[in-house]
Amino acid sequence: MERQHNSVVRTPLNSVVVQRRSKSKSYRQSYRSCLGAASRLGLTPALTARRLNTSRRAPKSHNITDKVDPEQLTLLLKTEWKLSYVTPLYQFRHTQLKSYSRQLSAFIAAEKQQGLAVDAEGSQSSFRVSFSVVQGMTETADDAETVLIQIHSKPMFAKQDDPQKLVWSGWLACINGNPDYLSSLSKDFICLPLFGSSGPEVLTTLVKSWFQQMFDCCFGPLEISHTSLQWLVALWTNCHTESNIQHLRMIWTLPVTPPLQITYTVDAQDAWELWSSVRKDPEEESEGGEEVEEGGSIDLKEVMRFMQGLKNHFYRHFRLDLSAGSLQQVSTALGSAKYSGRIKVSSDGKNCSQSFSQDTFLLTHTRKDKCCTNIFFLSF
Amino acid sequence: MAAKQNLSEPSDSDSSSLTDQSVSGRSGNRSLRVAEKERRKNEAEDPFVLALKYFSDVGAGTPVYGNDEFETNLVLVERVAYSKGLSPEAISVMLEFAMSLRMGTGPCVRVLKCLIPATIVPQEPIVRAVVWLGVGKIPISTQVLFIKWVLTVFDMIDAKDQLRAIYGFIFSFVTEENLCPFICHLLYLLTRKESVRVFRVRKLLELQSKLGRQPFLLHLLSLYKVFCPELVTLSIPSRMKSGFRNYNTPWKSALIAVQKRNGSQLASSTSLPFTIKDKTSSRKRKHCHLELPVLSSLVNKQPQTELSSSRKVVPLVQLNSFAQLLENIHRIELPAQMGSLLGSSLALQYLDCVQDESALLRLNFWLGYALHEEFLFYGDGGAYQNSEEALQFLDKLLFTQHFLQEAFSSSEAFLYKFLSVWDGSLLRPQILGLLSNIPVVPSSQIGRLLFEPLMQLFFTSSLFFKCGLMECLNNMLLKWLTWHSVYALEDDLDISLNSHTSINMTLSGFKDSVMELVHFVGRLASVGLQLEGCHTLLLSFVLDFYETVCDTFLKYGLPLVVMPPPGVFYPALFSLDPVSVDRLAYIMYRYKVNLTSAKSQEKVTEQAFHISRQTFREFNHYLVVMVNCLWNSNMFRPGMGVQLGEEVLLKSNVPQYWTSFDLVHHPAFMSYAVDFHQRCWPGRKDMDLNSIKHSKPWSWYLEYLYSQGYDGLKQCFVWSTISRQLTTDNRRGQSLSTQQR
Repeated sequence: MERQHNSVVRTPLNSVVVQRRSKSKSYRQSYRSCLGAASRLGLTPALTARRLNTSRRAPKSHNITDKVDPEQLTLLLKTEWKLSYVTPLYQFRHTQLKSYSRQLSAFIAAEKQQGLAVDAEGSQSSFRVSFSVVQGMTETADDAETVLIQIHSKPMFAKQDDPQKLVWSGWLACINGNPDYLSSLSKDFICLPLFGSSGPEVLTTLVKSWFQQMFDCCFGPLEISHTSLQWLVALWTNCHTESNIQHLRMIWTLPVTPPLQITYTVDAQDAWELWSSVRKDPEEESEGGEEVEEGGSIDLKEVMRFMQGLKNHFYRHFRLDLSAGSLQQVSTALGSAKYSGRIKVSSDGKNCSQSFSQDTFLLTHTRKDKCCTNIFFLSF
Repeated sequence: MAAKQNLSEPSDSDSSSLTDQSVSGRSGNRSLRVAEKERRKNEAEDPFVLALKYFSDVGAGTPVYGNDEFETNLVLVERVAYSKGLSPEAISVMLEFAMSLRMGTGPCVRVLKCLIPATIVPQEPIVRAVVWLGVGKIPISTQVLFIKWVLTVFDMIDAKDQLRAIYGFIFSFVTEENLCPFICHLLYLLTRKESVRVFRVRKLLELQSKLGRQPFLLHLLSLYKVFCPELVTLSIPSRMKSGFRNYNTPWKSALIAVQKRNGSQLASSTSLPFTIKDKTSSRKRKHCHLELPVLSSLVNKQPQTELSSSRKVVPLVQLNSFAQLLENIHRIELPAQMGSLLGSSLALQYLDCVQDESALLRLNFWLGYALHEEFLFYGDGGAYQNSEEALQFLDKLLFTQHFLQEAFSSSEAFLYKFLSVWDGSLLRPQILGLLSNIPVVPSSQIGRLLFEPLMQLFFTSSLFFKCGLMECLNNMLLKWLTWHSVYALEDDLDISLNSHTSINMTLSGFKDSVMELVHFVGRLASVGLQLEGCHTLLLSFVLDFYETVCDTFLKYGLPLVVMPPPGVFYPALFSLDPVSVDRLAYIMYRYKVNLTSAKSQEKVTEQAFHISRQTFREFNHYLVVMVNCLWNSNMFRPGMGVQLGEEVLLKSNVPQYWTSFDLVHHPAFMSYAVDFHQRCWPGRKDMDLNSIKHSKPWSWYLEYLYSQGYDGLKQCFVWSTISRQLTTDNRRGQSLSTQQR
């Protein structure tokens, strides 16, 4: 779970220059700060930016249930989340969650019935909101605890004693945040830069606008870039020995008219073998003198080599060069990620049924106008 | 009557002394009353006074029908009311008479209708009248009429503290269905933060569930929300009409007429300053990130602010005028979303005083988000689709920055990123405007952040972009220099940008940055002028820049003099356009003044700001070239900046080529020379321009040029007689003794 967050989060800009500029003040501020007064219009830039790592540490597998309550964890798993980035929340307090629950339900009720004032207690609201902390969903000490939001409601024509059903859920998280950025932020702000939502768009919009008014923050869509998706391809494949990824599936689009969408599925073992072949020789690495723990870091070059290998293989069989297209979606038994900023995390690969036989490629190729699906079985 | 008034006077002023009315207001009232008393003494037998006396003394139960005395007195009062308006005392008497129903409901309505105040309305009778409402004998329609009257004259009531004191009593009338809309309006006008209570909110919500969505309830509730957003949650539909309905029709025209006649301009703004913004465009916006948040009060109050809430904070939303802002400036509560400050000019005034770091950070977060989403992340077409909105947004931002005379750090960070993807034409004036606002960039970063992207844009864009960029850089330099001149003085030349960052900007650091900028513009201008064939427009913008540069020492106190590169100097000197030559002369003149004063100051203070010899040398060299060329007809002589081989010059077949750029033969001035020649020797058939160079016509010719507005030339050549001392230290005497012919 963490790993994915890590790779998609728009973490704060940490290039030296911008940080420097961000903290500098105009003369007028300097004059004021000379007097000991608070400076103005200064400090950190609002915007977070994508972290462009050229090298990442391969995540070590650890049992997340040691840290996080499994019951809460199940709420986060197997749901597809639409991601957004969030600017720091002003005056957000983890201790105030109860009151936030009340206020958000009142807000939703008021918005649902425009022009009708609602008691701020939200008592008569047909929506019940609950905020809760997911303890342990952090990686470093600076990370703020993850907050889970759930909205329950009764269906329109439900009976009186029908229980309320979960209609929307979402969370705000900060996992592996940039420590420099987090510590530079004033105490008034809580940084929970990643927002995932699942449920009707109307409710998402309402929750977002409530947060905006309440904590003076902004939400922006977070798409997962082509490069990040490639990283995921490699990182997931790299996990195969620890937990079976079952298959590696990629969806590409090619810019031809009509647009061509290609689903390219590789068997887990084949992917793993290709991946091991492009990995740097660990011995070679250790010759460099530094003690690098096994499976240490993964280099962007290796990722690119791996992708090239996959593309080459595809080209050999179908005479289609995938470099011309763009990667839209990646999925394995561990989870899936889409360019549009949707991710899903499955508990682990073990329960997935073995749906594809060995040495098999599945290629689905869909045309937009005419949905014809051809399945090719090929020997690897 | 007069005696009675006298008696009632002290109690009046007693009660008013309880009020927080200002002293000046009271004394004003008093002098007014003194005058009134005197007048009354004189006109003891005034029938109007007698009429009032009748109404104050008339006993309860006196019959109305067939009562001629009543009729004549009331007619008299009505006549006075409609012509001059009623004095505060008269209103007091008549209102008491009416509301006490001493002669029944009939006269009550009649009296209410003629209660046109001449000046102000005292609040005590209104409070009494409200109490009469509670007695409950008055028919509902009359009660409504009374409240309507209060609403109409609300702005003329002298003080509202007692009315506010009975807020709860007035509130109790909301349950009366017919009165409710009017009571809500009155409450709306009286509500203060302390009047908003949970039980009142509950009552209104209860009413709402009974009456449905009524605009008057909603308006009152929305005001409650402004004060206590934690008690009410409410979403105002965008189509809701703003304000309460206008209840003042029966009196309005009469009131205006009376006021006009009295010449008093008691501005009664009976229309409400209702703060809900009418969303102008109901169409669904695709890019909501460019929308300014609506100004609304803070919901998310922290426990520690409970203390400060007893300190009576005023939400910014509640302020409607600059006077109110000043009055409350020490206790203003920031809005829920800082971005909303940009939408109101009043809020901007306040932003200028905001010291709270977090608040400014919030503003920067929002602004950075909006700019990035619109111009950098535009996943869905962004700026290219809604440039109208983007334009307005940037204009607003520019306006704000100009107003604050400062750039936001988020817009600065945004610009550095945007410059590398900008095509140089999208929203050019706005982007260049923002760019010219950025604060001083340290010289170590300036190349990478600014110069590299700008250079690419400059050399690949049109002439107009080049001119625009020149102007922008000139403005940037001006702002940097202005900052310096203001803060260098205050901080005693220690202009560290921020005490707690690693990078401090010292004076030398600042100088380096300015120098980098000037050199950069010099390079751009040299190549730009070449690329554009020394276009006059571009040259003019370049000269604008050097007009700033040449005065850095005298105007802005920065001990730095940078000469223009030859690529700027020579195109200006040989320009086809006399204005450019003249401006160059002016710039040289200013350089000279700056250099001499720097030099003399160096001697006096013995301060080690050292203008390099190289600068003096460059200056002298340019000066020699200029004087030789324009004045001495000594072009192309050895030792000058522009040298051409003898044989090339001979080959060109230009006779007397060394004179070809003097003031007579210079292409820019040739037409003046011809014109002068014709005026000087009207009869002459053959034109000999060289004859202008004889000493007498030459001085006339110069006078003629100066009279055409070429002041730069004038200043340049008049001072060059004095400038000898300056330059002799490193020049051969020959070069400067050039001005005599």
